[in-house]
Amino acid sequence: MTENIYAPHLVTIKQARDEAEGVKTFKLAFNDAAVGEAFTYRPGQFGEVTIFGVGEAPISITSSPVSKGYLELAVAGVGKVTRALHLKQQGDVIGFRGPYGNGFPFDEVKGNDILFVAGGIGLAPLRSLVNQMFAERDKFGKISILYGARYPALLCFRDDIDRWAGLENSEVLLTVDTAPDNGWEGNIGVVGSLLPKTRIDLENTVAFVCGPPIMIHFVIMDLLKMGFGEDRIITTMERRMECGLGKCGHCNIGEKYVCLDGPVFSYQHLKELGESIELHTLGK
Amino acid sequence: MSEMRILDKAKLAEFIGKLGADFEVIVPRRENGNLVFGSLDHTQPVVEFTGKPLVPPKEYFFPQREELLTFTVKGKEIKVEAHLDKVKRVIWGIRPCDLAGIKTLDTIFLSNYTDNYYQARRENTILMGLNCNEPCSSGFCSPLGTGPFAKDSFDLLFTDLGNRFLIETGSEAGRELVASSADLFAEARDADKAKLKELEEKCKRAFESSLPSTVDLATVSNKLSGAWGDALWTEESETCILCGGCNFICPTCHCFNIEDVPAEQQGVSTRVRYWDSCQLGGFTQMAAENTRRTQAERLRQRVFHKLVYIPDKYNGAVGCTGCGRCIEVCPGEISITNILGRVMRK
Amino acid sequence: MRKILTTCEFCGCGCNFYLGVEDDKVVAVYPCASHPISQGKLCIKGWMGHEYIHSTERLKTPLIKEGDKFREATWDEAYQLIADRLQQIKERYGSDSIAVSTSAKCTNEENYLLQKLARAAIGTNNVDHCARLCHASTVIGLSQTFGSGAMTNSIPEIGSADVIFVIGSNTTEQHPLVADQIVKGVKGGARLIVADPRQIQLTKLAALHLSHRPGTDVALINGMLNVIIAEDLVDREFVSSRTEGFEELKEVVAGYTPRKAAEITGVPAEKIIEAARIYAGGKKGTIIYAMGITQHTTGVDNVMSCANLAMLTGNMGRESTGVNPLRGQNNVQGACDMGTLPNVFPGYQAVTNTELRQKFEKAWGVKLPSQPGVTVTGAINKMIAGEIKALYIMGENPMISDPDMSHTEKALKNLGFMVVQDIFLTETARLADVVLPGVSFAEKDGTFTSTERKVQRVRKAIEPLGSSRPDWKIITELSSHLGYKMDYPSPREVMDEIAKLTPSYGGISYDRLERGGLCWPCPSPDHPGTPYLHKEKFARPGGKGRFSAVPYRPPAELPDDEYPFTLTTGRTGFHWHTGTMTRKDWALDREYPKGYVEINPQDAANTGIRNGAMVKVASRRGEISMQANVVDTIQEGLVFIPFHFAEAAANKLTAANLDPVAKIPEYKVCAVKLERG
Repeated sequence: MTENIYAPHLVTIKQARDEAEGVKTFKLAFNDAAVGEAFTYRPGQFGEVTIFGVGEAPISITSSPVSKGYLELAVAGVGKVTRALHLKQQGDVIGFRGPYGNGFPFDEVKGNDILFVAGGIGLAPLRSLVNQMFAERDKFGKISILYGARYPALLCFRDDIDRWAGLENSEVLLTVDTAPDNGWEGNIGVVGSLLPKTRIDLENTVAFVCGPPIMIHFVIMDLLKMGFGEDRIITTMERRMECGLGKCGHCNIGEKYVCLDGPVFSYQHLKELGESIELHTLGK
Repeated sequence: MSEMRILDKAKLAEFIGKLGADFEVIVPRRENGNLVFGSLDHTQPVVEFTGKPLVPPKEYFFPQREELLTFTVKGKEIKVEAHLDKVKRVIWGIRPCDLAGIKTLDTIFLSNYTDNYYQARRENTILMGLNCNEPCSSGFCSPLGTGPFAKDSFDLLFTDLGNRFLIETGSEAGRELVASSADLFAEARDADKAKLKELEEKCKRAFESSLPSTVDLATVSNKLSGAWGDALWTEESETCILCGGCNFICPTCHCFNIEDVPAEQQGVSTRVRYWDSCQLGGFTQMAAENTRRTQAERLRQRVFHKLVYIPDKYNGAVGCTGCGRCIEVCPGEISITNILGRVMRK
Repeated sequence: MRKILTTCEFCGCGCNFYLGVEDDKVVAVYPCASHPISQGKLCIKGWMGHEYIHSTERLKTPLIKEGDKFREATWDEAYQLIADRLQQIKERYGSDSIAVSTSAKCTNEENYLLQKLARAAIGTNNVDHCARLCHASTVIGLSQTFGSGAMTNSIPEIGSADVIFVIGSNTTEQHPLVADQIVKGVKGGARLIVADPRQIQLTKLAALHLSHRPGTDVALINGMLNVIIAEDLVDREFVSSRTEGFEELKEVVAGYTPRKAAEITGVPAEKIIEAARIYAGGKKGTIIYAMGITQHTTGVDNVMSCANLAMLTGNMGRESTGVNPLRGQNNVQGACDMGTLPNVFPGYQAVTNTELRQKFEKAWGVKLPSQPGVTVTGAINKMIAGEIKALYIMGENPMISDPDMSHTEKALKNLGFMVVQDIFLTETARLADVVLPGVSFAEKDGTFTSTERKVQRVRKAIEPLGSSRPDWKIITELSSHLGYKMDYPSPREVMDEIAKLTPSYGGISYDRLERGGLCWPCPSPDHPGTPYLHKEKFARPGGKGRFSAVPYRPPAELPDDEYPFTLTTGRTGFHWHTGTMTRKDWALDREYPKGYVEINPQDAANTGIRNGAMVKVASRRGEISMQANVVDTIQEGLVFIPFHFAEAAANKLTAANLDPVAKIPEYKVCAVKLERG
């Protein structure tokens, strides 16, 4: 089955692990070695995962292209397909087609300090970029990762977080919205509350923001108040998707398709789209 | 270089019928008084050449329900099979609004990722257009430049000159068809070519007197952008019943949903594509929220997608061909010409 | 691709469209512009609601219950078992220990045959169907006032009325093509009055919205009648020449001054006065109503009040006027016409009338029972009492659609024997001893009668799935196994028989129906059909319409300290009834995948319930949980739950409080309490 744009490639689950509460991370490898060899992607891109007999869902790639031979997806089990995916185990075969989407800017932001602000499972697509950047460390300045979740059990990628915190010229700040009963010694507050706790060189920093829509909204407001340029704030848009390749129309905003022209957009771009920013301004 | 020929009206059925040897022949047919596209009945070949078919011929390239793939799962063995339709077809009697619709669907389905299914059907189909000598009841193609006479996107184009048709070729495939039935055709004389021009002018003038206001693509696009937050979207969508009809019968609407449908046999499922509608609430529903929650936003989306976004994204491509079917199909009596009229008057 | 013109299987509008068929599968829908009601337009169910036809959950073979599981069986085995058990029960307990519930979704031919089976093969008048739950009030109320219990005018006339009064009908969602007429009317200058405790979509077009308390319809209309009489807006000519009972009406209505009516209904007096003036001031006023007024313990009174209003102002017997009940199901009108009612044969001919009964005895060749049988709502109690031992159900899901679910469940489980004939294994079918697989409307020929009394063809488009059989065939085969031979080559011949015995269908035949639908009365082969009724005189004996002087009576279960909210139940435009068909359709399911309860914002604030949060709603009969939809389109003190969702079944909460004459349940009013979580 080659070049049929709706046909998935077969992939086997090499590993399925509990990532956080309600979130699992799957390591996938293409059954067809040639397909696996030829498969390339950029951080920020996503794929359409098929659970045979159930359906497809768009899931962003959390592994970084520097990791060869496999693909990682972190998935929350919130819908028909993702819940079915959660029941799959090591050795099971599922489908994957992609990569789709525009991916994060990489070359364009070289030479800058990078500020990552992530909420909950929003760290998944950013992780791909973080690891890619750490693989070309000399191209970037200070790398700061501000990460929060509603409570500790929802924090993902603890291993990566620990590793990043130990790397040179990088810092990791964590927070949770509410104080749990036992042993959280870190910051308490929404992830935006971490912004004042880090030094930012405004002119030379690019911010990447990813998480629940309401979190993105407030963090972007904070960044703008701090003086960030609109083209220096990069985020991802979420819309209902079906085809993932710009034909089914579901993710259409303005003259863009989130699956083709996004899901990564700068705030400047988002403002031009009209519909995305002022949701629900008409009627109730 | 377009060639012109003349075909006696009486010979139309013969010309079309002959094509049946190599193609599935689709023509407008009258069923219970309704004009719809359907297979030519070769035992009783009747070809209708008046009226606008109720549903555009887009379903021959993009069916209402299309099986894309079948998955057969046996343990870890999974087979994926595609179902492409490569039947050779000829569709006769496509009005200019619908030809323009096909042109836009070509842009959408064949650019970026080439849609295998659309492509298979499209490259095996010959398009024969039919110009309109009079405006139809709700059409507004003329100010949008998509009618009443077609400029391109056809293999052959017919114009009714009274007792005969003038035929213009638009492609190599069209020229070949004419050549293979050369004995049926006569040369087009100067008088015929003059009649062609005359009919086009007459029809255009008839439009001018029947439309409530002049609408042209460049101005309406700008005016619409200025009306983004206007109360008119709430007012005009008050009677929308969320039926989806306006999208289903639209020549350029292409939105679809994909479902994996279990089959009777264990382990077998089919990936099916269905027409979908942006006027339905669930169209933008996600697990946590719906990004277009009011009917006002959805109506605005439909009008903007056709008259602003498609031209913006695809370099002036036409998103609305002015066929007027969405006005005829609406049980809420919503009219895109009324809406555009209001917007133009702002 | 073949295109087959057929009539829609969902609501009573009776739209036609083409089903597109390829490889014996329904794959497309095409509109029919030449159809007088549909006019090339469809609602979402018409366009996209047919996926259920090919669902893998379709019943494809007969099933017999063994222990608590079903096993597949052959048709012969199933028929024999049914015949044996029914014979046993009949011999031991009598014919009346068996009840038959027919289907408002099935064709006229099928309904006719099933009541014939009940009466001729089994020997009981215990025949009824879901009209009992929706328009029983109409059938009785309008029969008593006009002599005919059906929509008096036709759908296309509505658009030309100058005043439209919609009471108890969410027309946009329930009868979209009737709503289209209303929209056309309003756009053409008609004035619309909407009377509904909720703001419905039509409210946006209304000149006046009367948001009355549920169950106060009689008081509201009596208030309007009072004003019409007081301000001398009565059509005296009409009243004197074509009606009787005016003086009694005047006397009762005198007590419902606008102020008194306002007190009872909660509608400001000025609005009641204005409503009366608007309605009486029109030249062609039409009343449109549905479940909002029929599903009450005062359902019959509510309907008769509407009739009073129309007669008082002379808005009867002319184009674009009338009293127009919107029948919900695709063939509930037909099911009634076919006599699937305990007290009448086809054509509303009374079983107690010796001459009429003898006509049927002669035609059917067997002695027929002469006493009226039991209604579906009455049957439930008899099942609990053990008086009804066996139940045969075709195309209905009473577990989810009957009021007071625990009561229904108790009744059905107490039966000695139950057979369900359906296309899916519904909640009711799961309780059956034998399940017979029928077919959808796309797999058989027949006719449906729409709400405007229009008889139209349903045409077979694909073959029955698996080993399922057309329902009419099942009935004839079963009847033969019961010892009463039924043998028809096709449904066409069944309609020929119907026409011979049913005066209002006398001129109906498949040949004539090829040229389009026919509105009954259509008594002879050359009669064109009757778009509007009561033109020169009413159908009552004597020809006069009868006023009914009805006082207001409150609903049976009002809110109190323990259960402080009123629950009203209803439907949405995207699902159909118990969701058996529509919840299997991705397009419809995507709109409303789950149940919900509508709560007023003030009530939500007071009870600490947030929009989207789970709510427990409880009544004296049961409790359900679902998401809250906090909306300001519903009155304070009132909550609304649609009954489509079995896992949050509204009917767990409702009560089987019945109208004393019509026996219709008060689905629209009962008392509940709300709790977070």
